[in-house]
Amino acid sequence: MKVLVTGATGYVGHNLALTLAQQGNEVNILVRNPSSVFIPGHRHIHVFTGDITEKVSILPAMRGCERVFHTAALVRLYASKPSSFYDINVEGTRHVLQVALDTGVRKFIFTSTCGVIGPSLNKPMNETDPRIAGFNNDYDLSKFMAERLVADYAKLGLFTVIASVAKVYGPGVETHPLSVNEIIRRFIQGKVSFCPSPGDLVSNYVFIDDLVKGHIQAIENGKSGEKYILGGENISYANFFQTLRTISGVKGTLLPISKTFARVYGGWHFIQAKLQRKEPFFTARGVNQIFCNKSFDCSKATQELGYSITPFASALEQTLHFFKNKMYA
Amino acid sequence: MHNNCYTLITGASEGLGKALAIECAGRNMNLILVALPGPELYSLANLIKGNYPVQVICIGKDLCRDESCIELYDEVTAMHLPVNMLINNAGIGSTVLFEEGSPGLYEKQIRLNVLATTLLTRLFLKTLQGNGHSYILNVGSMASFFYLPKKQVYGATKSFIYFLSKSLRKELRKSNVHVSVLCPGGMNTNLALTLMNKTGNCLSRLSVMNPEDVVPVAIDGLLRGKEVIIPGKLNKFFMLLDKILPGPIKRIITNQGMKKLNPANPLSRYTTPVMSPVPVLVSSR
Repeated sequence: MKVLVTGATGYVGHNLALTLAQQGNEVNILVRNPSSVFIPGHRHIHVFTGDITEKVSILPAMRGCERVFHTAALVRLYASKPSSFYDINVEGTRHVLQVALDTGVRKFIFTSTCGVIGPSLNKPMNETDPRIAGFNNDYDLSKFMAERLVADYAKLGLFTVIASVAKVYGPGVETHPLSVNEIIRRFIQGKVSFCPSPGDLVSNYVFIDDLVKGHIQAIENGKSGEKYILGGENISYANFFQTLRTISGVKGTLLPISKTFARVYGGWHFIQAKLQRKEPFFTARGVNQIFCNKSFDCSKATQELGYSITPFASALEQTLHFFKNKMYA
Repeated sequence: MHNNCYTLITGASEGLGKALAIECAGRNMNLILVALPGPELYSLANLIKGNYPVQVICIGKDLCRDESCIELYDEVTAMHLPVNMLINNAGIGSTVLFEEGSPGLYEKQIRLNVLATTLLTRLFLKTLQGNGHSYILNVGSMASFFYLPKKQVYGATKSFIYFLSKSLRKELRKSNVHVSVLCPGGMNTNLALTLMNKTGNCLSRLSVMNPEDVVPVAIDGLLRGKEVIIPGKLNKFFMLLDKILPGPIKRIITNQGMKKLNPANPLSRYTTPVMSPVPVLVSSR
């Protein structure tokens, strides 16, 4: 089958494109820079140069494709030009959806984030729970708006599903600095790790292999117009680092940080980055993202898609193995 | 604390009302949630019941309608629910030039913000007086202190609420009913407002709060018997400036409000000048 993957130079898209190609699909990928080091190499992967913010450049890559995996997005907490979140994540998605509708794509999947569902209370949140908090960053808000677009196109007759992705970790290319992978790597290198305090705040972590399989299961077995949480285990920060310590054998140094401290540090980092004309990746407001529960319930995906979760400990083991190989390579 | 008593919140399905409902549930208060009938109200009730050991009763009602306040009062009374906290939160906001707003908008706004708040306070006062330590929280706005362009009717309705609350508080000083008025600044209560809040100048953007950050301050203030609750350090600072700055300078500052919704801002493509609850996303672009 011929498919299109957007965002194939990103973490999720890269692994997804490779898996689809290994399964024997002809995979078109749409990339801005055809000489990017993050381009997945495989004989079934065909590179098209284009940009989702330019609608006309999407058509050649999409022509003849039966499935579209739209993973491309601006993924970060802060951008000096906030409108780029909307240009790429909302308008870009609108372009991809419109071309998909025009070219008669059979099925479309949109990679979104659990950040749209938002923080949780005592129990894990599911796909239908209402948000309990306002949006505190442009990324989540732009994804929320894009999800509404996707739902609108489902009503226009395009088969669409939405994948709500939790915090991703596992082997893959490194494309942004605030990832779970980065935290894991810092820890095993023996650098000081910051653990939000209280450590009993819970987040959901999804293993990249589960997520890639989940995307394929969602597009094949999902129902149009539906949204599926693709996550993993819900784990507290304390438990996360404890498991990491046990499996890696690295004792590591954990520094508990309070929300107030993190806010002050966030403000300081922002000013410092701005003075050095660098892009800050962390802001005082972004701190709220870390100091809340973000636990999610994947039972809709497990029941309706056949989605399965690799236990955190064994997925972490594979991740550590990957990092060690990379470090000593 | 108030384990057998109930807190009645109007406009509970979105924005500040939703955040108030979650905050109160977290403090073990049983809830009567009143909002426009629709799935949002019921999914919120389910979420709260799933997370907290409190009773949640939903009443779907359009409080802009004639008689609806009396109906609501009768329904609650018929269920024999001891209400000891009334939160008059339902309201319609708007940012629109007077001549561009429709008469229908103003009528609804006044009905909901002014009339429903007054009538519910009047109707439930007896109930509150009969239920020990009781509280009324009326939701006003910072807009009741400043005469802002595009906020004429809205600001006036909120001034009414401010005046009502402060006068009533004096009347009820010796009773068991405590009246507070909450005066928040700009909040990200729905998508349209969240986007519009991003289009202001730096200072106004910084002062914008999320409802979940406003509600702990609101409920703490209410329980401590504060008269006027202004959440946010920057908002308090604005109030201080208002007290100390001379009139002409304030006029220059508030005139900046006219420059809001600057069409050059890339986000204004998603907002419309009259607050529509849902901006048009699939347009004919």
